[in-house]
Amino acid sequence: MNKVKMFFSSLLKKDATKTVVTSLWCALFGLVLGFIILLCINVNDAAYGMTSVLGNYLIFTNPSDRLNYFGQTLAKTAPLIAMSLSILVSYKAGLFNLGGSGQYSIAVLVISFLGVGLNLPWWLVMLLAMLAAASWAMISGALKAFFNVNEVISGIMLNWIALYLVNGILTNSPTIWDSAHSESYTITNSSNSFIPSIGLDRLFAGNPIVGLGMILILVVVIIIYILFKKTTVGYELKAIGLNGDAANYAGINKIKNILIATAISGALAGLSASLNLQNGFTSWRLSTTPPDIGFQGISSAFLGGLHPIGIIFSSYFIVHITEGGSMITDLGFSPEVASIMTSVIIYLSGFVAFFKDVMRRRELKDEFNKMSRDKEGKL
Amino acid sequence: MIIALSTISFLLAYVSVLTITALGGMFSEKSGTVALSLEGCMTFGAFSAGIVMYLLPSSVPDGISALIVIVVALVSAGLYSLLLAVASITFKANQTLIGTALNILSTALAVVLIKQVTKTDALPVGNSRLNFTRFYEIFNVNLFGVQGVRFNWLIIIVLVLIPIIYIIIYKSKYGLRLSSCGENPSSADSLGINVNRTRYIGVLISGLLAGLGGLLLITMNAEWEFANGANGFGFLALAVLIFSQWKTIYIFLGAFVFSIFKTISVVYPSIDFLANLGISSYFYLALPYVVCLIVLVFTSRKNVGPKALGEPYDKGKR
Repeated sequence: MNKVKMFFSSLLKKDATKTVVTSLWCALFGLVLGFIILLCINVNDAAYGMTSVLGNYLIFTNPSDRLNYFGQTLAKTAPLIAMSLSILVSYKAGLFNLGGSGQYSIAVLVISFLGVGLNLPWWLVMLLAMLAAASWAMISGALKAFFNVNEVISGIMLNWIALYLVNGILTNSPTIWDSAHSESYTITNSSNSFIPSIGLDRLFAGNPIVGLGMILILVVVIIIYILFKKTTVGYELKAIGLNGDAANYAGINKIKNILIATAISGALAGLSASLNLQNGFTSWRLSTTPPDIGFQGISSAFLGGLHPIGIIFSSYFIVHITEGGSMITDLGFSPEVASIMTSVIIYLSGFVAFFKDVMRRRELKDEFNKMSRDKEGKL
Repeated sequence: MIIALSTISFLLAYVSVLTITALGGMFSEKSGTVALSLEGCMTFGAFSAGIVMYLLPSSVPDGISALIVIVVALVSAGLYSLLLAVASITFKANQTLIGTALNILSTALAVVLIKQVTKTDALPVGNSRLNFTRFYEIFNVNLFGVQGVRFNWLIIIVLVLIPIIYIIIYKSKYGLRLSSCGENPSSADSLGINVNRTRYIGVLISGLLAGLGGLLLITMNAEWEFANGANGFGFLALAVLIFSQWKTIYIFLGAFVFSIFKTISVVYPSIDFLANLGISSYFYLALPYVVCLIVLVFTSRKNVGPKALGEPYDKGKR
C-alpha cells in the first residue's frame, strides 16, 4: 500500500505529470466556460449543444456514420499536428512562429499548381510544397538573422502578403480556380496527387480521406522528438533558444541555427497544407483574412505542453471540439463557440508555468517541513 | 474634386486609426508589455460599440447616442486589455501567447454574440455583418458641403489626443515612470515606483485607445463584417509602432506613409492612371505590408525598443 502511494507521489513530482495535470485543468476550464456561454445563448438547447461539441462523431447512432466521422476527425488532426510541430520547433529555438498561416498559404499555392493543375505524384507535390513553405519561412528567419527584424511582426506581415499573393494568382488561373464556388478545385480520389489510402479507408467505413498521411505524421512526430532528444542539431537549436548570445559565444552559430529553425518550421507548416489538401477534403477558399490554422497550431502546441507526444493529444482534442462545434449550427449556435473554447484554453495555458511553479514551491515547503520535523524527532 | 476629397477623407481616417492604436500600443510596450493584442482590443471595442449601435433605439438623441457609443468602445476595450494585464503582469505568462489567444477570442466572441443579438439564422454561416447606417451619418459629417464627401469627426478627437499623449509621455512624471518600467524595472522599483501598477495602467490605456481606433475604423463604413475582426489594422498599428521606434512623432509619420498605401488599395479603381495599369487589385492590397516589411529591414538594425519588453518583472531577480 505504501509502495503504491510512494509511486503516485513520485509520479506527481515529475515535470511531465505536472504539465499533463495543468493542461487537463486548462481544457476542463475552457469547456466549462464554453458551456456557460451556450447556456447564456440558449438555455434549452445548451446541454444538447455541449453534448454535440464533446461527442462529435459519437452523437451518430449508426456505427458506420460514427466510424466515418471518427476517421474524418483523425484525418483532420494530422495537419494540425504538423502545424503545432512547426510552432514547437521555432519556439524551442527561441522564435515565435506567427507566420504559420502564410507558410501554409504558399504551400497551398504550390499544391494547387502541381497537384490540381499538373497532377504530379503525391510525394513530389508534398516535398515541393514543404520546400516552398520552408523558403517562405526563411524570409522571416533571414530578416531576423541579418537585420534583427522581430520575427513575430515579419511573420504577421508575410501572412497577409501570402494571402493576397495566393488569392491573386489562384483567382486568375482558370484551370485551378472554380469561380462559381470561389474556391480552388479539390484534388480528387483518382488523382496522382491524392495521398494513397493504403487500405486504411476500409477501417473507417470507406472514408477516403483517411490514409497514409496519418502514418506519415506519426513518423514526423517521432523524428522531431528524436531531433530534440538525441541529435546535435536539436541541441544547438535548444541552446540558441535558451540564450542566443551565450550559445553563440560557446561556438554555436546563431545565424545558421535561426535559419535552420525557420526552415524546419516552414516545412512543417507546408506539410500541414499538404495533409489538409491532398486528401481531397478541402481546398483554398477566397478569404479576406489569413487561414486560421496557423493560430490553431499555437493553441495545440501550448496545450500539448510543447512536447511532440503531448501535441498529438492536444491536436486531437482541439479538432474534436472544433468538428463537434460545426455540428451545432442547426441549433442556432455559431460554430465559433468551439473557437471561444480553444482561445480560452490557450489563454489559460499561459498560466501553466505559473501554476507549475506554485506546485513545485509547495513540494519544497512540504519537504522542508518534513526535514525539520525529522530533525526535531532526533533531538 | 469629389474623388480627391473622398481620398483625403479616407487617408485621414486611416492615419487616425493607425496613429491612435499605435500610440495605445506605445503605452503598453513602453511599460514593458508586448502589445500583440491590439487587434483583439480593437475588435472587442468595435463589436461592443457595434452591438450598441444596432440595439440603441433611434429615439435617443444623436449627440447622446454618439457619446454612449464612444464610452462603450473605450470601456469595453479597456476592460478586455485587462485580461492581458492580469495574465502577463500578475501571472507572468508568455505575452505573445496571451496576445494571440485574445485576438482569436475577440473575433470568436464577436461572431457568436452578433449572431445572438441579430437573431439572423437566415444569414449564411459565418456571416456576422452589422449595419449601422444611422451612426454612419452621425459620425461622418458633410464638412465642406460637397455631396458624397464625408469626414469622420472622431478624427478630430484623435488629432487632439496626439499632442496630449506626447506631453504625457515626454513631459509628465507618469510618462517617465512608464518608460523606466519598460527599460529597467529593477531600478524603477528601487526608486519606489510600483512597477506592476504602472504596467497595469499602461496596458489599460493601450486598450482604451485601441477601442477608439476600432470604433473609428468601423464607423468609416456604414457596415462591418466582424468575422474579419479589425481586418488586420491592429497588427498594422503594431508594425507602425515598431518601425517608428516607439516615438510619438515617428508614429504619426509612419502611420501617414502607411496610410497612403492603404488608401491607394481602396481608391485605385477611381484613379485613372492606376486603373489603366491593369495590375491585379491584390497587388495593391499587399503593397502596404510589403512596404512595411522593407521599412522594418532598415529600422530594426539598432535595438531601440524598451529593454525589458516582454519580460515579466520578478522582484527576486533584483
